[in-house]
Amino acid sequence: MASRTRVIFQRILLGVLGAVLLLGLVVYSEGAVTVYVHDKPQGTRIWLPIPALLVDAGLSFVPDRDLREAERQIGPWLPAIQAASAELARCPDATLVEVKDSHEHVLISKYGDTLRIDVEDETDTVHIALPVGLVNSLAHQLEAAGGPA
Amino acid sequence: MTRGLSVLRVRQLTLVVLLLAATAVAASAEDRWLHIKVDDSGGDNEMVRVNVPLSLAEKVLPCVHAENFDGGKVRIQGNLNDVDLRQLVEAIRDAGDNEFVTVRDRHEDVRIAKAGGNLLIKVREKDGESKREQSTVDIKVPFTVVQALLSAGKDELDVAAAIRALRTQGNTELVTVNDKTESVRIWVDSRSASE
Repeated sequence: MASRTRVIFQRILLGVLGAVLLLGLVVYSEGAVTVYVHDKPQGTRIWLPIPALLVDAGLSFVPDRDLREAERQIGPWLPAIQAASAELARCPDATLVEVKDSHEHVLISKYGDTLRIDVEDETDTVHIALPVGLVNSLAHQLEAAGGPA
Repeated sequence: MTRGLSVLRVRQLTLVVLLLAATAVAASAEDRWLHIKVDDSGGDNEMVRVNVPLSLAEKVLPCVHAENFDGGKVRIQGNLNDVDLRQLVEAIRDAGDNEFVTVRDRHEDVRIAKAGGNLLIKVREKDGESKREQSTVDIKVPFTVVQALLSAGKDELDVAAAIRALRTQGNTELVTVNDKTESVRIWVDSRSASE
């Protein structure tokens, strides 16, 4: 009897584990936005991985008024952002921009489906990685938000 | 019958070759990259590298609508004194290879010429006393690109059209500037990295 209960328990555990794994795979299927900030004087480090799917879905929870305001501000640039992200998705991996002086090093690169922004200066280290497709998707959502209310 | 079949095969083969050639041309046009390299050894030792696929610039520029820059065209500021740049360029294009402008003084040599389908501008700044070169500027722009640039209205430069024209060119060294502390290089090739 005890052995049967154990088998049932194992099956449930396996099912839950499979569901969690599947959910994780679905959530991360669109990639993830990762932000890493190292404040050198304070010694604090923040590493924040956010699934792109959640960022995309999270935009639907932003109040319409705020979305319209954001669209009003960057609206004129949205077509250019959409065109750039669509074209970036097609272009091969490359370092797009690199600026370096004795105090600072800024690097913007494309690697796979990810756009990377790396900034290193005397006080901070910042690494941001975001899926190129997410930029396009967010731009489309913002554009839609600016349409007739 | 056999002859008919072989003619058909030759036609099919020709079609395949033409398709392959068209694909190769399209691929080579796709892979053009614009590179900007700036090195400044004075002060902060600044270094700038920009590598942009021309296809990206071609798609993005027409979408930008800002002051004096609209739909890939930039409005020329200042007074051109009724100089028709398009006619001027067409006149130079139709002429043979030649040096059209030469200005020389104690401090500077400026030459504007046409050679091998390119518009060349060379500036040499000299030290008045020793006559040694202080800085050099070399600009080489294919005429098809210049024409595309001037293909918009009278007071406009069509940058998007110039980029499109640039994509059809081979590897091109567009701008080289050198002085005591700074060097600038702008060129187009098929590599995604500048070095």
